[in-house]
Amino acid sequence: MTTTATWLELSIAVDQEAGEEVAALFARYGYQGGVVVEPSWLSTEEGDAGGTDHLYDLDSTRPVTVRTYLPADGQAAEIQQHLATALWHLGQMRPVGQLQTRTLVEEDWAHNWKQYYQVQRIGQRIVIVPSWLEYTPQPADLILKLDPGMAFGTGLHPTTRLCLRLLEQHVLPGQQILDLGTGSGILAIAAAKLNEVKVEAFDLDAIAVAVASENVVLNQVADQVQVVQGGLETNQKYDLVVANIIASVLINLAPALAQVLNPGGTLLSSGIILARETEVTLALAAAGLEYHERHQEGEWVALVHSKLG
Amino acid sequence: MAKKLVAVVKLQLKAGKATPAPPVGPALGQYGINIMAFVKEYNEKTAGQAGSIVPVEVTIYSDRSFVARLLTPPASDLLRKAAGVPKGSGTAGRSLAGKVTRKQLRDLANQKLGDLNALNVENAEKILAGTARSMGIEIVD
Repeated sequence: MTTTATWLELSIAVDQEAGEEVAALFARYGYQGGVVVEPSWLSTEEGDAGGTDHLYDLDSTRPVTVRTYLPADGQAAEIQQHLATALWHLGQMRPVGQLQTRTLVEEDWAHNWKQYYQVQRIGQRIVIVPSWLEYTPQPADLILKLDPGMAFGTGLHPTTRLCLRLLEQHVLPGQQILDLGTGSGILAIAAAKLNEVKVEAFDLDAIAVAVASENVVLNQVADQVQVVQGGLETNQKYDLVVANIIASVLINLAPALAQVLNPGGTLLSSGIILARETEVTLALAAAGLEYHERHQEGEWVALVHSKLG
Repeated sequence: MAKKLVAVVKLQLKAGKATPAPPVGPALGQYGINIMAFVKEYNEKTAGQAGSIVPVEVTIYSDRSFVARLLTPPASDLLRKAAGVPKGSGTAGRSLAGKVTRKQLRDLANQKLGDLNALNVENAEKILAGTARSMGIEIVD
């Protein structure tokens, strides 16, 4: 994805009953069939983010806004015309509003979240500091400066926090460590700061590799952390492997993960959604790894395994 | 501590195929959500439903945490499958894309009841019938 990509946003306000129909139309023409519906809501009641209950009341008498997006290229005008025609037909059966269009560039939305990204303390000593903020460290603090860009790993997601806490317990001096699916590099850098270790940080995604490399330099751990674009095709053996990916990938990679561990080595696997924990546990057991413990935050699970010595 | 609700956004996306590109980027980015965190969560939760459109309701709180709750596939998707047609008619009212029976419509209404803004199954059926009509799908007895 380039940062200069320009998009057209098409939106329309319709009553709630027509919302489904307009969404279906938009899905037919929008990029990747993607559609956004923003319902109106009334209540300002406060709720706990951990719950799944509706703590707000939707006002069904107010219109909803339906949006879709098109790359602003040579075909956009034609697609827009098709959509306008289809909306006209729909308008013969139900009242629909005026189709609104505006131009967007990626910069408009990609960095908004940064203003809410604050200093975070995770585990005993780790403090994640956004690279654009000032922070005065406390004596025992282990500071990680981070600009995650468009890569995964801000420390905000439970899967990352679970790994950081586990790294605090499992990183020992002299270890050879692998961080598989490094994203922003957050876990590799944390490992390097926790102890005198060598870390290889792999990611398939070129954006992640670029972001991780910048963060490694920012944290002055370039002598300890090597960022590599690629997967698990290596003859190297590791004392500790941390893999914060997703369940399906962990299941597929289980034999390879066991293969790259030294005897007695530890695997920290994360990114596992609760519903698939058993599958991952079975795959890792089948690969000959010994289960030690599980940690859970919200719907996410991290597992600790070791390879028999 | 209770968190304040900021917004509720519903997205229709292809299961397991969300990316930071539109619609996810602009829809969630405007509220300050970390887009990659959502993408990872959505794709993982929908990994088993490849090939379907799986809508997700994202509830956003003041600290920019969010809860992503999967919904049933959109009515149009269900109707298309029930009618056995690849897509709806682009010119509903003039051309016909396919047919569904009253019984199929009632079954779909029951399936969607929890997600539609409908008080009862009759009401849900009415909404679905409207969607069917706009897609050029005829309802037969």
